[in-house]
Amino acid sequence: MTEAATFEEGRLGRLAVVRIRPNEDLVTAVETACREHGLTHAVVRSAVGSLVDAVLEAGEKVIQVPGPGIEILTLAGEVRPDASGAPQAELRGTIADGKAQVYGGCFRRDANPICITLELVLQEWLPA
Amino acid sequence: MRTLVQPGAPLQPRRLLEWAAPASDLRVTLAGGQDLLRGLVAALAAKDVAHAGVQVVAAEIARMAYLTGAEDPSGQRVATYGPPTWLEGPVTLLGANGILGPGPDGDTLLHCHAVVVDAEGRLHGGHLPPGDCLLGAGGAVALVTPLREAAFAASFDSETNYPLFQPTRISI
Repeated sequence: MTEAATFEEGRLGRLAVVRIRPNEDLVTAVETACREHGLTHAVVRSAVGSLVDAVLEAGEKVIQVPGPGIEILTLAGEVRPDASGAPQAELRGTIADGKAQVYGGCFRRDANPICITLELVLQEWLPA
Repeated sequence: MRTLVQPGAPLQPRRLLEWAAPASDLRVTLAGGQDLLRGLVAALAAKDVAHAGVQVVAAEIARMAYLTGAEDPSGQRVATYGPPTWLEGPVTLLGANGILGPGPDGDTLLHCHAVVVDAEGRLHGGHLPPGDCLLGAGGAVALVTPLREAAFAASFDSETNYPLFQPTRISI
């Protein structure tokens, strides 16, 4: 039986000041940056950037948005360790395309190449 | 996944990360009648904060412009901004993320993207140019995470042919 709620006590720690260069995939680049610096638990505090093209997931729906120059408007999410202990990023947010259409969803892995840059502030979560 | 050929040679490393020391966050309330970005930069400067991550959590906007991406017809860059889209208020901000740091000319720059809803309920969003987001009577609220020991500072990026924020060690 699943608990109705579970808690993880902890506190927020150091801040990671991150930049991802062009053509790197958003989700896997965040995970790789975390792995390279020993960061397994983190939350997104702020992010500004752009994508070549975007693929978002909302439930069963897959939203494909052609670019280039798709603006990431808001980004939220977490990095948590997977079963093997490797950092796994789950990122969601809103984007705007060149026609100023706004879309939202979860960013699909290996489908969201950075266009010009991603500026990202992560804060580590230190479980008690 | 489509990738684009940038005007300059790829730079290494592909992912840059610098550790900043945690500091107390600041919740900032801005009064109406001022520009959102310039008002935030000035308010934080008065608190000696020139490097930060910013979340704008609420804003009532009287008039604003935003920019979205476009292909660069000159071919000098893979993408640029199209002409501004102007919105007359009341416009309600739904979310915005920003990075505060020294810009290419040394002046403090707040690089900010926002998603908003207009008076007819239509969604809009894009890059906010400084000076073009006049707050209405409701003002704005932002949560600011000051960065110490490391932060973003703009410098010319030869790969993209843009001045861009780069993670940098700082002596604060």
